Amino acid sequence: MAAAGALAPALRCSLGRHRALSRAAGRRGRWPFLAEGASLRPCSTRAALDGINKAVVDRIIRVDHAGEYGANRIYAGQMAVLGRSAAGPLIQQMWNQEKDHLRKFNELMIAYRVRPTVLLPFWNVAGFILGAGSSLLGKKGAMACTVAVEESISDHYNNQIRTLMEEDPEKYKELMQIIKQCRDDELEHHDIGLEHDAERFVFSCFCSLCAQK
Amino acid sequence: MAAAAAGSLRRAGWRLWRGRAGLRCQLYAPQQGFRASAALRRASEEQRKEPPSPSSQQQFDPQQADPRPEQEAWSPGPSYTGQDGQESQDYESEEQLQHRILTAALEFVPEHGWTAEAIAEGAKTLGLSAAAAGMFHSDGSELILHFVSQCNSKLSDLLEEEQKLVQLGEAEKKPTNQFLRDAVEARLRMVIPYIEKWPQAVSILLLPHNIPSSLNLLTSMIDDIWHYAGDQSTDFNWYTRRAVLTGIYNTTELVMMQDTSPDFEDTWRFLENRVADAMNMSSAAQQITNLTGLNQRR
Repeated sequence: MAAAGALAPALRCSLGRHRALSRAAGRRGRWPFLAEGASLRPCSTRAALDGINKAVVDRIIRVDHAGEYGANRIYAGQMAVLGRSAAGPLIQQMWNQEKDHLRKFNELMIAYRVRPTVLLPFWNVAGFILGAGSSLLGKKGAMACTVAVEESISDHYNNQIRTLMEEDPEKYKELMQIIKQCRDDELEHHDIGLEHDAERFVFSCFCSLCAQK
Repeated sequence: MAAAAAGSLRRAGWRLWRGRAGLRCQLYAPQQGFRASAALRRASEEQRKEPPSPSSQQQFDPQQADPRPEQEAWSPGPSYTGQDGQESQDYESEEQLQHRILTAALEFVPEHGWTAEAIAEGAKTLGLSAAAAGMFHSDGSELILHFVSQCNSKLSDLLEEEQKLVQLGEAEKKPTNQFLRDAVEARLRMVIPYIEKWPQAVSILLLPHNIPSSLNLLTSMIDDIWHYAGDQSTDFNWYTRRAVLTGIYNTTELVMMQDTSPDFEDTWRFLENRVADAMNMSSAAQQITNLTGLNQRR
């Protein structure tokens, strides 16, 4: 999984997070702190946008959205290869949770009038290739990819939470809650990946590399 | 003395227009130096014959202003503290003063063009000396940027009003092509009083040192129009739509500058055709992606 390991730092910088989500009770049920439809009213966000550090929030939402989008594509790639195998349902479940996250960030993006990253078409292709490529090495490869990505993503989300805390915990409470929820989900995915023998795979890859040397 | 004041004003003026608008719809924010503002007032005090402008914000105490130039930290719209530490509401910030001068200068543009002369005339109507024009860059860039920024704010307010009416149910929600047409037409109509000198303005805005600011204003205006048109795209469409509308706006502006028809009918017809083209293209593109399976939304 050297390829995934090498790509992970690049992903970490620009994809944002992958998140493991625990099983959703219902779309709105997972995000109880958002009033129903509150963020979906177009054009009436002028008042809501005053007083926040637009540059910081813009960047956070843009990167997280790109991350979720990339995560979606990674899981799509993994499903394309492993969809019919034993790991299929597990990956599908994680993918569904990523879709939920992407939906969430779409809403945030509209509410805060953030522009999406211009690299979206690139993440579209790169994510799919990463997911499919890692899955071609088998279930353990897919899980190792998940673990590598989730690890860097948790760091990334923690950094964002720290940034928002430094700015103003009260003003950004809602945003921070969403990011915290996502980070927790990511950590869950990370643990699921480890559970399914990703570590052993990495270890055995490493061993074989050393043996070759 | 006046020459030295004008020199320091010029240096401050050079710095100021390089400030960028951080938020959407914000008037471009020039950097400020309190010294320049104080020097301006000193110069105008010396040369002014008529009584000070009736605006109460012009009251000014020379002794208080002089010792404090370096200690004042810049902040937008500050009230300067006097020697006794009390805040004086009589001072206006340099940014406000510049906005007032530029706004007053706009009425002289049809006669003098987008030049320092127009700014000087504008300053004179406010009771300041003509040397106030030294606060700005000599090619009239700030005047044009100020005007564009003002027009964008007006457009934004207009669209906000319209949207309120729709939300209150007092007006029909317009279809997208109609909305875009009306928005672009409303924005271009603001240029009509200055249409004679507008080509000069456009060419000045294309100068390399003005491009960041003018591009910034253009993109935020286009983004505003799409936002109020109800665009909620979160994928690459975001860019495509704005690029298309920017193209429509720029070409329509060019057509308008050469249009001699009564009330610019030809221009609005051109605009209508371009918007219709854009709508057709987008639906054609959608059909193609559907057919070739590139559309992920199956």
